[in-house]
Amino acid sequence: MARETETRFDAGAPLPLVSHLVTQPVIDAYANASGDHNPIHVDPEFARSGPFGKTIAHGLMTLAYVSQMLNQWTDGAFDENGEIELTFISPVYAGDTVEVTGEIEEICERDGRQVAKVRLICRVGDRSILAGHAYQPINAENE
Amino acid sequence: MPEYRRYEEVAVGDVYPAEPLIFEVGPDATREFLAATGGDSGDYGFEAGDRAPSMIASVYLIDLLKARMSPPGGIHAKQAIRFHRAVRIGDKLSLQARVTDTYVRKERPYVVSDFEARAADGELVSSGRITSIWGKDP
Repeated sequence: MARETETRFDAGAPLPLVSHLVTQPVIDAYANASGDHNPIHVDPEFARSGPFGKTIAHGLMTLAYVSQMLNQWTDGAFDENGEIELTFISPVYAGDTVEVTGEIEEICERDGRQVAKVRLICRVGDRSILAGHAYQPINAENE
Repeated sequence: MPEYRRYEEVAVGDVYPAEPLIFEVGPDATREFLAATGGDSGDYGFEAGDRAPSMIASVYLIDLLKARMSPPGGIHAKQAIRFHRAVRIGDKLSLQARVTDTYVRKERPYVVSDFEARAADGELVSSGRITSIWGKDP
């Protein structure tokens, strides 16, 4: 078990790949679940005159996909003590398939915790959707 | 027609909402969140005390952002969040944020806020930073 944990957090170890097809009904369902009915997400007519020319998915919905991937990788430990810092760099449109994974860049110390620093990879085809990192404590005892 | 705040009215140090917002991690909200995001509900439970997905933060953060009274059309630009413990069905989270920076870049008006979510006993559940592009002033 100890070796499994070590392997999971080795630099370069593969992280899971999570994939979701985002449609307008998916965006609408997230709007209903979150209460965020910002017209840039749910009103095609409003969105046509906005910066993207059409509706875009909520950034926080993409964040939920990132969280799913990190929880798969850590068997749920991300929910307990994980951390992410990211910038949304490109929108997700209805019809896009979003793929989320990551790469462990290094094991380092952050705020007194030993963490795996993960470069997040989130893309639609060749287009990057976000840039940033996750920080996952390696030992719960460090908390 | 709701009243929106103009960008020029937002100032560093503003706390929103004035009194902490209470968000209950309920079974229905959790089910709806998992269904909308394609999450695996098998990892979680729906009875009081069962573990809920921490990223339900993406729901309560929207409640928090609404308290800023920003105009429609705003965009979420950056997000940082740290989870300090798992959330559970029945948790009543107390939420509040404070504006820490405002700036204009490429003619886009940005607002940066730090937030905290605390359990009923005051324990820190999550904390982080939200950077948004303010919606077009009405």
